[in-house]
Amino acid sequence: MPTAAARLLALPDAPPPPVLAARAVRKSFREGHVEIEVLRGVDLALARGEIVALEGPSGSGKTTLLSILGGILTPTSGSVAVDGEKIDATRPELLPEIRKRSFGFVFQQYNLFPALTALENVAYAAKIKGLARRRAREEAERLLVGVGLAGLLDRLPSDLSGGQKQRVAIARALAGDPPILLADEPTANLDTAAGRQVLQLFHALARRERRALLIVTHDPQVRPFVDRVARIRDGRLVDDLPEASS
Amino acid sequence: MPNLAIKNLLHDRLRSAMTVAGVAFAVTLVFIQTGLFLGLLDNASVTIDHLQADLWVTSRNTPNVDFAHGFPETHVQRVRSIHGVARADNLLIQFLNLSLPSGAEEGMLVYALEDFRRWGVPWRVVEGNLDDLRRGDYMMLDDSAERRHGPFAVGDYREVVGYRVKIIGRTREALSFTTTPIGFLDYDLAQRLANRMAGKTTYIVVRLEPGADAAAVKSEIARRLPYNDVYTRQEWARRSRSYWVASTGLGLNMYLTVFLGCLVGVVVVAQTLYTSTMEHLKEFGTVKAIGGSNADIYRILGLQAAISAVIGFALGGGAALALGPAMAGIGLKLIVPGTLAASVFVGTLTLCLASAFVSFRKVAGIDPALVFRA
Repeated sequence: MPTAAARLLALPDAPPPPVLAARAVRKSFREGHVEIEVLRGVDLALARGEIVALEGPSGSGKTTLLSILGGILTPTSGSVAVDGEKIDATRPELLPEIRKRSFGFVFQQYNLFPALTALENVAYAAKIKGLARRRAREEAERLLVGVGLAGLLDRLPSDLSGGQKQRVAIARALAGDPPILLADEPTANLDTAAGRQVLQLFHALARRERRALLIVTHDPQVRPFVDRVARIRDGRLVDDLPEASS
Repeated sequence: MPNLAIKNLLHDRLRSAMTVAGVAFAVTLVFIQTGLFLGLLDNASVTIDHLQADLWVTSRNTPNVDFAHGFPETHVQRVRSIHGVARADNLLIQFLNLSLPSGAEEGMLVYALEDFRRWGVPWRVVEGNLDDLRRGDYMMLDDSAERRHGPFAVGDYREVVGYRVKIIGRTREALSFTTTPIGFLDYDLAQRLANRMAGKTTYIVVRLEPGADAAAVKSEIARRLPYNDVYTRQEWARRSRSYWVASTGLGLNMYLTVFLGCLVGVVVVAQTLYTSTMEHLKEFGTVKAIGGSNADIYRILGLQAAISAVIGFALGGGAALALGPAMAGIGLKLIVPGTLAASVFVGTLTLCLASAFVSFRKVAGIDPALVFRA
């Protein structure tokens, strides 16, 4: 057993434990008789409070990797662990529970429910994540106020701007207090100013609330807001460097 | 929690209206067809149901109340002497031809008793006095006869098999399955008019003493009249109705229409729900991506189907009920008993939920990864 002094001395050097870790992840899809290998052994880890950008050309495997990391797809081989719990390909029925508990998703197209108001969109997600009706509504209101939409709670998505929709989507992703946020091209449909505001919001959330954040992006304005940039090409991670050195 | 099922229904108003209209159409079709069928069947036994007899003695193998044939009227004495019989009378039911003022001849179904009042028929006399039937060559004619015989009034004369008979009253609701108008005549007059019916009757109607054992009396009548059949009122009504269902194909027709109505409902609901599901596929993918299960989505689709069923049932049932008086105006009887309404409601709900299964299958196969596709 190390002494207390030794533990204290060891702390600064110990890397923060990853909340999300992919090890040697491979993923193949069959198209007709042809097997296409989309991911060819990817290792990636995210710690709490860390912001990572995942970049790569179209067809490089970014979205597939995001789906596997988020428990939407299971890897053909390799492993993904969320808070130490392994996502098991042999038990896909557990995936919804893991997604519910650990992940918040933000999509390029926002994917808000068009029939629900901003408040209802977030409350619905909160309810799915297990909150009681009244609690879900209170949580939704708190989250929407937190992302700066206090006056727009009763607006339908069709009455919101792109930036406002993405803020609703972020609030929805935060419902249930997940430790990991996964964002797929969150600024792709926004103008520069709105994109910047969204990124500032993401940055603040990750830092202030110690959430791991992975942003799949082509947008160069993302870089100043991230800790690391991972680049993927042809199913392999070719770079995983701190932002300053990328 | 916001109800995504209801919100989506309200959001897609046109599609929801189409779904509900499809269900309502199917429900109306089923109510109208089944209601008319029950109305027709009711005509087949309406006189049996109203005549206050506990037992009916018929000639052997009489298929229904309208198609009677004769047996000796003295048989009634053997019935009257049985312990437990309070009253037994001869009832003559015969088709007779009636000459119309236009010169045409039409049929009439004659009901003849010695004492109508005692047996409770006709049960709705709107003009005239039943007791007068015994006082001359008189008859009472049901209002429904106007459809086939043309207008008539109390005091008019008609030739029945060439014999002048005065109309002394009008009745209502006395209908036959064949739509042949029903007339009420005194027993002796009818026996005189009916060819080869002298000394014969077609039925013996029996009323039991209070507390009498119906089965024992029935079996004693059968023993004493071995060449006749004996039925309780319910058995005889059922036999009369079954004859028309089986012999005319009416039952098959009704079942076929009900089946088609259900098919229309199922196809409309399944098709609109499926189209709606396809349009909301990305939303359902999102529900899955944020941790929702297939069961969460099944609940949304199931609730939408159930809401469509309830509203469609209410509108379809309302439309059918509203059509009732219009149908009565053209002489069609629409009968919708509570059990039918309950069965149609359960059937509508079941079929709508079954229709949602097509969408369930689609939803079960949704890949939540589709949420990442632009």
